[in-house]
Amino acid sequence: MELWRRISTYGASPEFNMGLDQALLETPEAPPTLRLYTWEPDTLSLGYFQRFTDVPRATEAGAIVRRITGGGAIHHVRELTFSLSCSLEHRLYAGPIGESYARIHRAIAAALAEFGVRAELRGERALGSDVEGTGMCFHHSTDLDLVWDDKKGVGSAQRRKAGRVLHHGSIKLGTSPLEGDIATLERYATLEPEDFAPVLLAAFERELGIRTRPAAPELDEREYARQVGPGYRAERFVHRR
Amino acid sequence: MTSKTMRPDDRKYFESHEWAKQDGDAVIIGITDFAVAALSNGNDSDLVYCDLPEPGRELAQGETFGEIESVKAVSDLNSPVAGEVLEINHKIEEHLEILARDPWNEGWMIRVKPTSKNWASEKLMSAAEYEKFLEAQKH
Repeated sequence: MELWRRISTYGASPEFNMGLDQALLETPEAPPTLRLYTWEPDTLSLGYFQRFTDVPRATEAGAIVRRITGGGAIHHVRELTFSLSCSLEHRLYAGPIGESYARIHRAIAAALAEFGVRAELRGERALGSDVEGTGMCFHHSTDLDLVWDDKKGVGSAQRRKAGRVLHHGSIKLGTSPLEGDIATLERYATLEPEDFAPVLLAAFERELGIRTRPAAPELDEREYARQVGPGYRAERFVHRR
Repeated sequence: MTSKTMRPDDRKYFESHEWAKQDGDAVIIGITDFAVAALSNGNDSDLVYCDLPEPGRELAQGETFGEIESVKAVSDLNSPVAGEVLEINHKIEEHLEILARDPWNEGWMIRVKPTSKNWASEKLMSAAEYEKFLEAQKH
């Protein structure tokens, strides 16, 4: 069975989180990697092309970064964040983009099902969590989104660069004042990210047909993350649009 | 189009799914229908934002000249040809649905002055070779 690397970094700084994901995306020889992480302090991440002014409550978060992936803003608090990074030629990304989302969301749905959550792709319907004018990812849904309780519960986006893919996902264990009435696990279980992580990991392994081994980032990846990370929080990048 | 291939054979193709076509002394560059389909989820409105370079910028072959965002991914746009950016197609910045409709003509992205007149011989594929390249990627 295919072996992936697994990197867990809980409570890391926003600049480290974004810098390491860039390193995982841009290191051509990096093995396929599943990363599980949380943020300290709580952080609002803007989508790569999003206008700062389109997120009127952005400054209420503990920190602000701009992600390398697109879409809307996410308030990273009371959630487990993950990234999957590997070659674009990996079977996970075969076919149109929607198919890769379906594969990844199937694994997340399997993990959620263990807590009694019936998560499914949104398809063609409006959600109770859709809200105009906030710029928040969880308030804007597409047919590929994973939903339960008629609301969006997983934020996800991909960056494709030089033959590699980084897939970002945020799974909500609870909500935040910036995100309000969205789908979370809270109604089903009170969990810390570290408690949900092994369940998600087992579901990824089972559904994607992989095994993972725990690992720390390589020295050159850590160095690169330290080098590029501060740029994600820099005024110039955060306010570039 | 020719009967042998599905894609126009009046241009060259790059491994990251851009095309380049001679246009007088210049070369126009765009992305292929495969690239559009790979980024989309079946709707003309799936492409949401495109960032193109300023005229005057010098590009090496393979260098990223812009970025395109679809509903679920941001991807780089890479230049198949080394040269200087002369002009960009502002129309697609506001109307990305053009790319789904006509990536080959109306959906061109940038016009460059190639560094070499022999640009077409450098690491680029014919339409037939590009078809084979796509076919090989499926396996």
